[in-house]
Amino acid sequence: MLDAFGGTPVSAAGPSAAGALAQAVKEQEEGLLACVHCGFCLPACPTYRRLGDEADSPRGRLYLMQAVVEGRLSPDADAFQTHIDRCLGCRACEPVCPSGVAYGHLLELARHVGREARPPSLAVRLLLSVLRRPWLARAALLAARLLRATKLSAGVGRPRSGSGPPGPLRLGMAMLAASAPSRLPESPPSPPVESSPLPPPPAPATTPQHPPASVGVLLGCVQAGLFSRVNRATVRVLQANGYAVTSVPGQGCCGALHAHAGDLETARKMARSNVDAFDDAGVDYLAMNAAGCGAAVAEYGTLLSHDRAYARRAAEIAARSRDVSQLLAKRGPVSGAPVPLAATSDAPCHLLHAQGVDGPPNAVLAAVPGLRVLPLPNAAECCGGAGVYGITQRELGSRIGRDKVKSVLATGADAVVTGNPGCMMQIGAGLRLEGRPLPVLHPVELLDESYRRAGLYNGS
Amino acid sequence: MIPASLAAALVEICGRDGVVLERDRLLVYESDGLTAYRHRPGAVVLPRTAEEVRRSVKAVAEHGLPIVPRGAGTGLSGGAAALNGAVVVGTARMNRILEIDAENRRAVLQPGVINAELSVAAAPYGLCYAPDPSSQTACTIGGNVAENSGGPHCLKWGTTSRWVTGLTVVLPDGSTARFGGLAGDASSYDLTGLFVGSEGCFGIAVEIEAGLLPLPEGVRTLLAIFDRIEDAGRAVSAVVGAGLLPAAMEIIDGPTIRAVEDSVFAAGYPTDAEAALVVEFDGVEAGLDADAARAATLCEETGAREVRRARSEAERTALWKGRKKAFGAMGRIAPDLLVQDATVPRTRLPEVLKGIAETAKRFDLVVANVFHAGDGNLHPNILFDRRDAGEVVRVEAASKEIMRLCIDAGGTITGEHGVGLDKKHHMPLVCGPEELAAMWGVRRAFDPDGAMNPGKVLPDDSEPEAGRPPSAAASPGRVGGDRVGGDRAAENRAADVLGLYPSERVLKGEAAREWSRGFPAEAVVFPATVEEVQETVRVAGRSGVRVVPAGRGSWLQAGGWTREAPVVVSVARLNEVRHYEPADLTLTAGAGVGWEELDATLASNGQWLPLDPPGVRAGTLGGVVSCGVSGPLRARYGAVRDNVLGIEVVTGDGRRLKLGGRVVKNVAGYDLVRLTTGSRGSLGIVTEVSVRLFPRPAAAATLLFRAGLPDAVAAARAVCTGPLPPVAVELLVRGEDGEAEVAVRLGGGPAEVDAICARVAALAGADPSRLLRDGESDAFHEDRTRWEDDAPVVARLAALPSHLGRTVEWARQLADALDDGRVCADAVAGVVRVKGSVRAGVAGGEAAALAERVARIRGEVEASGGTLAFSQAPAPLAARAGWVAAPGSAPSGPKDRLAERLKAHFDPCSTLSAGRP
Repeated sequence: MLDAFGGTPVSAAGPSAAGALAQAVKEQEEGLLACVHCGFCLPACPTYRRLGDEADSPRGRLYLMQAVVEGRLSPDADAFQTHIDRCLGCRACEPVCPSGVAYGHLLELARHVGREARPPSLAVRLLLSVLRRPWLARAALLAARLLRATKLSAGVGRPRSGSGPPGPLRLGMAMLAASAPSRLPESPPSPPVESSPLPPPPAPATTPQHPPASVGVLLGCVQAGLFSRVNRATVRVLQANGYAVTSVPGQGCCGALHAHAGDLETARKMARSNVDAFDDAGVDYLAMNAAGCGAAVAEYGTLLSHDRAYARRAAEIAARSRDVSQLLAKRGPVSGAPVPLAATSDAPCHLLHAQGVDGPPNAVLAAVPGLRVLPLPNAAECCGGAGVYGITQRELGSRIGRDKVKSVLATGADAVVTGNPGCMMQIGAGLRLEGRPLPVLHPVELLDESYRRAGLYNGS
Repeated sequence: MIPASLAAALVEICGRDGVVLERDRLLVYESDGLTAYRHRPGAVVLPRTAEEVRRSVKAVAEHGLPIVPRGAGTGLSGGAAALNGAVVVGTARMNRILEIDAENRRAVLQPGVINAELSVAAAPYGLCYAPDPSSQTACTIGGNVAENSGGPHCLKWGTTSRWVTGLTVVLPDGSTARFGGLAGDASSYDLTGLFVGSEGCFGIAVEIEAGLLPLPEGVRTLLAIFDRIEDAGRAVSAVVGAGLLPAAMEIIDGPTIRAVEDSVFAAGYPTDAEAALVVEFDGVEAGLDADAARAATLCEETGAREVRRARSEAERTALWKGRKKAFGAMGRIAPDLLVQDATVPRTRLPEVLKGIAETAKRFDLVVANVFHAGDGNLHPNILFDRRDAGEVVRVEAASKEIMRLCIDAGGTITGEHGVGLDKKHHMPLVCGPEELAAMWGVRRAFDPDGAMNPGKVLPDDSEPEAGRPPSAAASPGRVGGDRVGGDRAAENRAADVLGLYPSERVLKGEAAREWSRGFPAEAVVFPATVEEVQETVRVAGRSGVRVVPAGRGSWLQAGGWTREAPVVVSVARLNEVRHYEPADLTLTAGAGVGWEELDATLASNGQWLPLDPPGVRAGTLGGVVSCGVSGPLRARYGAVRDNVLGIEVVTGDGRRLKLGGRVVKNVAGYDLVRLTTGSRGSLGIVTEVSVRLFPRPAAAATLLFRAGLPDAVAAARAVCTGPLPPVAVELLVRGEDGEAEVAVRLGGGPAEVDAICARVAALAGADPSRLLRDGESDAFHEDRTRWEDDAPVVARLAALPSHLGRTVEWARQLADALDDGRVCADAVAGVVRVKGSVRAGVAGGEAAALAERVARIRGEVEASGGTLAFSQAPAPLAARAGWVAAPGSAPSGPKDRLAERLKAHFDPCSTLSAGRP
């Protein structure tokens, strides 16, 4: 069967692009039929909760997809485009689905179909095309860093009177400003009694006969460009916990943003090159410190399942992918010195819902003495960042974002912890726009700081 | 797809983002939880307020288009399918909890509140909402009201109908009416109970008052594994038969176990088992272990190969999750699923399950059973693939056969999913033409133009011709509604009726008045069969004779007065127990069966019907049901309405209606059982009743506390709002010394009762002055039911329970106005009773002054949202303003119009209980 989704080229004699796409969606029919229309996903969906319209629920969107498959709805219809676009892709519907509908995957396919029928907005196309070219992406992120250094971003991304959603410029600048490193309060001048000197890093959990597990860190695009400190912290804390971190040349952007936006071709291209890179490096684990990338890599097997040359290797690489918190939790992780702070922790959707990783980030935070973790109501709900959502659905995105910021502020925390660059920027920007720029940190940043204060890195 | 003018009007009302008009976008509203039916609506409105609902309904009604209410669209009977381009009114945006009133244990809600979220919101107050349908994480309270939703825990606590205490409803014509309410509702019929389960045909509930329950202190959950599903069915009967009352009993069969275990909700059931039975007990910690151990033993005795206990809350949650998500998990094993829903008497489960398995085999289908076994509520789920046309045909045939099996076993076609579109053609299996006609009559009372959810619940061709009551042909004497012989003297007309009876079954004149304790009856007749009752009312209707139903004549005064001396029809001779299966906890008996005899029969099986209205022991089962008055036991066991499963009534025009059934859960059609319960004989003469029974508690105790009145009120309320589940709490105000006594009634296992006794004292903040055990306790409460016997004046004041102190104060003022005035109260319900007498021969200015005092007190009670009603009063005073009905209460509102239309349908010639509300 010809299959435009599977990555094999459509032959010239094949059906028209639209026909081929419809055919490809049809392949998912089995998947769609698994939806029994029970409606359990409705209350889990942030857009349904706010809009109350069936078409903005996972069940409604699946119904629209099914209608396209059945030929009852054209993929360029407003109804399809609007409601498929309006999905955050947070996948909060997946864990509550008793039938196990692979919603995230179907959404990507639907977006692919929708994209073919009607190209996305200029802004989205521009963003994706920049990220598609590594040199261009690097240049753009360099420019962003320079802009961030001028503090211009912080100036523009400030709260302003008026209740409407912030304009794209203000939001963008606030996000950029929020990506800057945060300064944490120093420990009390005297080290805590009896806890010093700190024990040396514990022996790796591996038995002496076996070498320590080797780990390659996916550096990402935005992560590498704006959050290189998180990458550095990731390497350090993994090493401190007994992992042998290997550099992986040739790796690049994971392709998550492209896949979410329905540009599956580019996503596959990027996936293939990462499969090659990590395969060559021969690491035991791939460490992910961006939940969005982690979820994408974990699904490389599905993404490339129709690619004969890559399917098996992609599945193997996907199986070796772990969030950094999972790798750390496996080793305890070892405790550092106190970082006195009251923080609240938000669960990135692509960690919690897409990968089902729930406990490990807490285990990481538990290894930081002096850290008080305040419970965040609705922590499992999307922050509204959702990749390019801030661009495509400004109003709704900012509404969801504001709700998250309100919850965060209501906890009285001094800082927010979350393990995904998009969420860090979204929540950070929201806080800035409210005039309450709390530090937003990745869990490994906190652990890293705790280790630094403990002197774990001295002399290394 | 709707006229542009209507579209514009709706946009004006709900805003552009509150109206869906585009054909493509309307696609997603084609189906609810049952995708076999697809009907695209003409438009969807998503109002945010009650006012937007009201205006939307009015606008649509003015355009003559049908309206379909929709909650979360999780229903499984196609009830939200929008036939013929109807306009869907969705309540998803009306999702605010307006109030949680912990002290009165109630919540006020918009209809779009999600069921599970109510319990989450109530948890900080130590409360929860009892009905827990399996879709509770998604379904809305408004939808629950429409469907009278059940759930696993309804075994102990009843379905939605028990917990919805008041409603604000937008009627099909766009008017708004309020039904019920915890603070008291003086309206004649139980319109709240009638509306619950009406499947969106009567209107849209826009505000819902729901009762809350204290969170159980402890829970014990067992999982028994069986190799044969019939054994699991027998275990259920064994547990109930042993007098245990689990909070829930659920069976999950082999195919379902395998589907669940394959899903994300895997609960660790063995995949080679043929049935898993979940048994859960909840309540106070003391006694739970004993109950659980007993149930475990019974499961083993009936063939369980293994009994597991949930060792932690996490295990318990996982175990329940597997059960609750079973329906969705079916998607894993087949592309399509037909969810059946039928109820059978519990004891018939083993044979019905066997029959279902045989049916499945014969039609070469897989049927997965997952169901509320404790209630006998089956969910045989037929798995299939809709792309296989042959299989679809077999599914339909098998489905019908399974339904037939259930009905033959004494069951019904739906226990909780509703009739909707899916089962309306099966309604004739459980309802005769007369019953269907009555349902049409009630529906038309709410919706004369047929605008609300048309095409649902009742078969299209079952409606009698317009303007012709279904039994007009059976009443040949009535011509065009005029009464024959309207100008004859009353006694001559009565002779037509009396002539039907042999002399030994007629009492006349003084003998009649003596039998009916002074009620101005011209005669009393004693029919021996239902047919005689029918003939009596028919002849009475023809001759223009007014008839008042009675049992043993002990409550004839209750409820009002007739101007004309009527013929009393006593059903005392219809006193047979027709069906009593202890293990089913149900009983069917003639309405005339005496309460004492009934109680003795039940007691010999360790069971009881826990109703204790005033004077109950001198009365009959039919009388209790017909009057619908509840006593203090309501706190634990629910009101009369909550325990009646079925009623047979003879309507005012002689139709014999068999309403409801004898299964605990039954939502086949509108709830005419609740309508007729408590209708005081004004809609029909109750001739047979089926009730739900309970195991009699193994141990009972009553603690009596004595204190000054304010302290006593405080102590009583402290017990009522505490975490313990008392059976009843009463306040007895003693004479003028300002002293009062609080009686706290407890029941349960011996260990449980002992443990609660000590804790009640702590809650009340005092040591009990007396502790009555078992027999003594029972005797005390039996005596309490006689409190108002022979009192010439009796009044009931009802207000919010938290206002008990104030209500008692008014009651005392009323008592002061009477001779020998006394006051007592049901502290849980907030109902206060006054008894006393009026000096014989009181007249003139004195009588006027008394009436004025009463009117003033009534005014204050009503101004604060409460009610005051007299159930007994001497006739001369009764006629005075303010004694019987609220002055100036001429029927005017939408609710009164409804009551009038209902009365007109059931009793077109006003033959029955004339002059009564």
